Amino acid sequence: MYFLRDAQNNLWQYRGRNALSVTIICLSFLILGVFISLSNNLRHVADEMSDSMVVVFFLAPNVTAADLSTIEQKIRASPSVVRVEYVDRQQALERFRKNFPDLREILANLGTNPFPPSFEATLQPGSFRSDDILGFIEEVKNVTGVEDVQFNRDWVLKLQSLSRLARAVGFFLGGILILASFFIISNVIRLNVFARKSEIEILRLVGATNTFIRLPFLLEGVTLGILGSLLSLGLLFVLIKFFPLYLGHSLGALQDIVGFRYLSSSQAVSLIAAGAFMGALGSMSSLSRFLKI
Amino acid sequence: MIELYHISKQYEEGQWALVDINLNVLKGDFWFITGPSGSGKSTLLKIIFREILPTRGQIVIDGVNILRLPDHRIYKLRRTMGIVFQDFRLAFHKKVFENVAIGLHVLGIPLKEVRLRVFNALRLVNLHQKMWEYPSHLSYGEQQRVAIARAVVNEPQILLADEPTGNLDPELAAEIMGVFKEINKRGTTVIICSHDKELIRHFGDKILFLFKGKIIGKEVLPSSRR
Repeated sequence: MYFLRDAQNNLWQYRGRNALSVTIICLSFLILGVFISLSNNLRHVADEMSDSMVVVFFLAPNVTAADLSTIEQKIRASPSVVRVEYVDRQQALERFRKNFPDLREILANLGTNPFPPSFEATLQPGSFRSDDILGFIEEVKNVTGVEDVQFNRDWVLKLQSLSRLARAVGFFLGGILILASFFIISNVIRLNVFARKSEIEILRLVGATNTFIRLPFLLEGVTLGILGSLLSLGLLFVLIKFFPLYLGHSLGALQDIVGFRYLSSSQAVSLIAAGAFMGALGSMSSLSRFLKI
Repeated sequence: MIELYHISKQYEEGQWALVDINLNVLKGDFWFITGPSGSGKSTLLKIIFREILPTRGQIVIDGVNILRLPDHRIYKLRRTMGIVFQDFRLAFHKKVFENVAIGLHVLGIPLKEVRLRVFNALRLVNLHQKMWEYPSHLSYGEQQRVAIARAVVNEPQILLADEPTGNLDPELAAEIMGVFKEINKRGTTVIICSHDKELIRHFGDKILFLFKGKIIGKEVLPSSRR
């Protein structure tokens, strides 16, 4: 195919400026990709938390058996609760030792078991968003023997809004940079059009159609866009693979949040398609402005 | 074949380049348009291949009024023509082969046939041995021959040439005119602009004399000479 050969030759012939535009497209998409990945991650953590949302009712250390029974009945009465588990002081201590082995010494120094007994009520997925759940918690909290309540509803809601914020920031910053790379593609194609002005003139005189003249430029723009977005996906992959290793264990529980997840396949395909589309758009704008046929 | 009716052309500066030109070129004709510099020869050619539009008049080519052709249909007209420019108009970043092949690529001819046709066209102008060189490595005369090969490679119905032998020595000029004659014998209508009196005297069949944009004479030699 003449178009493909011509586009390929021209991409190689002006490789300097083409490489520059691929780099800029790549960086723009990389920034967008990092924020999408971060947003994916936050959403994933929020989803995991909300799927197994637990309300912990901490009880007084000297709670009576009768109170225990009343509290349990009260909790089980709620339609939002799917499972109730009683954790006694010893179980709570064991759990802490298992989850935080580094802090064992502090516990040993205390000499006593500081953990109160508790009821852990697992809620139905999604039910935590309802305000009814707050009324239910308040009701149980007022029962004798219940000292405190731990409910991470706000945390999950904050994580979810943080995920949305990350996505919005990503689209905003990425959008600006993608717009910049659109202008860069447009200008690179414009330079290529100028460099090949004599050839375009000859093509017109030997009876080339507008499509015939434009297609190689369009292919060039699309190729630049696709190469840039592919390169950004590659870099994002490397970043995600090595960034957590670089941070090491210093982040503790936060590691799960910054240990980025890669983009979903549909997101990756969308990013490549966006690159191709931007390349095509950049070329077309340049061709319509600078290639009056 | 080509009918020009009352063609006049006024440039933006107000100067008239052509005034009331009437000409009827028949299929298979071999015309010379001659006259001093600024007589309107090149303007007339540009109007025929619709690079510029006349201020007045009409042109009919093969029954089609080309002035009424919409811009997006001009390519069809150009595909029937081969054009040799005074300034060659070569793509200097492409090799001789690609320069000549460009018109065939436009027509979508397969590469195998393109190679054969380009080779034959270059052989016609005796440049086949420089097929893989860049035009910048060629002499002026050779560049002109590349332009001629490009114009004839798709065996056009009409061949327009603006001073095609301007940079060639008399021997080579005669050789190139021989090429044009050969193409003409195959049925192509040829119109050549030239002010080379010697060349016209030797090769001219039908001659149009222009002076300051006006026709000052037409000469049609007897068919025996042709």
